[in-house]
Amino acid sequence: MIVLALVLTAAGYVLASLGGRSSSLPANLVPFLLIIGGLLGGAHIAVRRLAPQADALLLPVAALLNGLGYVFIARLDKNLAGLQALWTALGVGAFIATLLFVRRTRDLERFRYTFALLGIGLLLLPLMPVIGRNINGARLWVRVAGITFQPGEMAKITLCIFFASYLVEKRELLSVFTRHVGPLSVPEVRHLGPLVLAWGVSLVIMIAEREIGSSALFFALFVSMLWLATDRNVYLGLGGLLFAAGSIFSYKSFAHVQERVHIWHNPWPVFSGSGYQIVQALFAFAAGGLFGVGLSRGNPGRIPAVATDFIFAAVGEELGLFGAAAIILAFLLIVGTGMRIAMRAEAPFDKMLAAGLTTIIGIQSFIIIGGVSRLVPLTGVTLPFVSYGGSSLISNYVLLALLLRISDEEAGHRQTARLADEGLRAA
Amino acid sequence: MNSQIRRLGILLTAMMLALMVWLSYWQVFAAERLNDNPHNTRKIVRDFSQPRGVIQSADGDVLARSDPTDDTFERLRVYPERELFADVTGYFSFTFGSDGAERVYNDELTGRTARLRLTHLGDVLLGKKRTGNVTLTLSKRVQQTAASALGPHKGAVVALDPRTGAILALWSYPSFDPSQLSVHDQSSVRTAWDQLNKDPNKPLLSRAYRERYFPGSTFKVVTATAALSNGATLDQPSFPYLTELPLPNSGGQSLRNFAGHRCGGALPDILVQSCNTAFAQLGMDLGGDKLANAADGFGFNARPPIDLPSPARSVFPPAAAFLHDKPGLAKSAIGQQDVSSTPLQMALVAAAVANGGSIMQPHVLLEVRDSEGAVVDRYDPKEWRRAMASDVAATLRDLMVEVVRRGTATRAALPDVQVAAKTGTAQTDRNTQHAWMIAFAPADQPRVAVAVIVEDQRNSEDATGGAVAAPIARAVIQAALANP
Repeated sequence: MIVLALVLTAAGYVLASLGGRSSSLPANLVPFLLIIGGLLGGAHIAVRRLAPQADALLLPVAALLNGLGYVFIARLDKNLAGLQALWTALGVGAFIATLLFVRRTRDLERFRYTFALLGIGLLLLPLMPVIGRNINGARLWVRVAGITFQPGEMAKITLCIFFASYLVEKRELLSVFTRHVGPLSVPEVRHLGPLVLAWGVSLVIMIAEREIGSSALFFALFVSMLWLATDRNVYLGLGGLLFAAGSIFSYKSFAHVQERVHIWHNPWPVFSGSGYQIVQALFAFAAGGLFGVGLSRGNPGRIPAVATDFIFAAVGEELGLFGAAAIILAFLLIVGTGMRIAMRAEAPFDKMLAAGLTTIIGIQSFIIIGGVSRLVPLTGVTLPFVSYGGSSLISNYVLLALLLRISDEEAGHRQTARLADEGLRAA
Repeated sequence: MNSQIRRLGILLTAMMLALMVWLSYWQVFAAERLNDNPHNTRKIVRDFSQPRGVIQSADGDVLARSDPTDDTFERLRVYPERELFADVTGYFSFTFGSDGAERVYNDELTGRTARLRLTHLGDVLLGKKRTGNVTLTLSKRVQQTAASALGPHKGAVVALDPRTGAILALWSYPSFDPSQLSVHDQSSVRTAWDQLNKDPNKPLLSRAYRERYFPGSTFKVVTATAALSNGATLDQPSFPYLTELPLPNSGGQSLRNFAGHRCGGALPDILVQSCNTAFAQLGMDLGGDKLANAADGFGFNARPPIDLPSPARSVFPPAAAFLHDKPGLAKSAIGQQDVSSTPLQMALVAAAVANGGSIMQPHVLLEVRDSEGAVVDRYDPKEWRRAMASDVAATLRDLMVEVVRRGTATRAALPDVQVAAKTGTAQTDRNTQHAWMIAFAPADQPRVAVAVIVEDQRNSEDATGGAVAAPIARAVIQAALANP
């Protein structure tokens, strides 16, 4: 399957070059193939060695998304392509390292408060005076020693680990409602603390870093994990209420949020100004139609930030509805596989973590695909594995490795259980 | 916990499916509307980068072609003759659209006409794209002669074949190089555009068919037509010899002859000498009705059906305007006051006389060929107007021959070809005048009719139509009649 992903990526790369104006085979095809073959092969061998019983579908799907994304980045911006190759290498390195160091998920549980602090620290890093950087109006970046990165990407994972272990410990407390307010029964206020905290943190991030997408992602992640842990629908309702309150508050208070909403609602009056990006993306989708105009045959270059946030619009233009649907299907596969891993996992912490990590990928891809196609207001998050960006690629590979580790463990458990079962029967 | 995980999974799946449905809306159902959205420049880019045929002159010179490039637009439109044919080819610009034949024959050049498609139905199946090559009626030789004969003077030259209406030369000075508007660096295009528009000499203005001038005495051909068509003969009426004509109801105004000449007599004499006092009186005697009818017969107040974008109408006021304005009528009869005409229209006046009273539709298209050289479309000459009966035309022709033989247009004469002409010197303000000439040749079997205007000559006897415009007309006629 990994070979299939490799073949598809290589074919896309060749086609993109053939479809271009020069209509020739890419000059660096052989080194290109060797490099991605080496990277994916390395990742594959690492999985076989370090997590031999892990799910066999996740890595090829992620590799396909990564490869397709690379083809588009190479076609859109030659300079970014070299960097993206480097990020991919680092991502695969992080993937192998994660598998290597996280041999048991229980190890993660022990460091939950470290992860929590790490996560919050990472989130706050961009706000630091010297190293924080504003890019496109959002303060999500940190620049150290000439390298710019988005710490929030990694914070998603560490916070997810924290949420999972915290909620597993407190699930009993949080699901017992002892207080009564009129006809409603509510949990102890002090147990509600984390919910309110998460709400507050996501609001603070949004206000301070001017980024709605990440905050929505954090909040959705936390509420769904809370709900998973407690099976209390009231948390969904409460979460929804707080989300609505936060949304209304930020809409009323911040011009940039209002602008985003207005552009989403009707971009046409500002088609040449603030609505330019989304309008151009819609034109790109329309130009693509069912089958797309063909790799390198379109004009996605006119969409600002097309290699990062808007890469999906480029796919929609050049590969058409079918190509775009294929990307969505790939994410669907990841979501399905991730949830299956969560359901099969033995330990509640593993279940929570797997479901949480899967939710991150699912929600994030929904936010950005929905954003560029005007289903929801546009916010600047990356499309996992596809978009250009080092922080995003590395953290998504780490996330993938964690999912595979959980998958390997549960398979190991099942095997042990089966062996024990057979042993019993034999006896 | 598993049931919640399953439900969460289902929720995320539903969100993904919603994305797919939503995308099909944009990519399939709303796609056509979005593609046609006026703000969507993708279509323009596609049109702009489409293969585009060549525009060439009748004598085979390439006037516009598309060269392959490496950038987004893939092709660059170039005009090898630079400013020489700008009035006719127009320009092809991403930012500013197109003009001239580039605009009118866009479908032919991009191979989008039904004819080009039908002829090559097989190509549609093969996915091959054909372009059309447009051949114009203009010849580089005549155009070049017109440009160099006019020289660095503001003005225009129009030459056409009176038998078909085919334009042989269409030149305005100053002109511009269309390549500077078709280059791909849009900021340099914008700069060029701004400069061209700021230039007080208006190089972007196609004076030949989009600018109106007082036709001055060349309009006397129209007045003479009105007279001959309404019973006048070579002897009757006859006008007194005057140096100036007092105008009725004008509070003592009078209309003078050029340089104080004394002139009069019947039609042959007054036309040959371009006698203002006699023609003004003739106009007043005819009345506004007959004069306006004659002007309309030549195509005044109508848009000439030329195959170039937005030609200007020439103007002659309606008869009603003269009911209480005898002085206005008198001045209009000699091509002043409220009369204004494009050089193209005045060339059509000459062509009407040359072609037995019939004006053919002026046109620049000779034929369209497909990329393999087969003719797919040819311009079919059609009559536009009948300006006069053929006997009137014959009489006028003889009179205009006399103008060259012994009148104001002697400098238009050619050694072995009989030229018929009429000069004009139109007053613009106190200090300047436009020098005009309309002419055709050979007088017995005309093959070329021309109109020449040279703008803003200093008021003097050496700067009349006969002095300044006649040599230009002569050179153009000579070039047009020379066997290629």
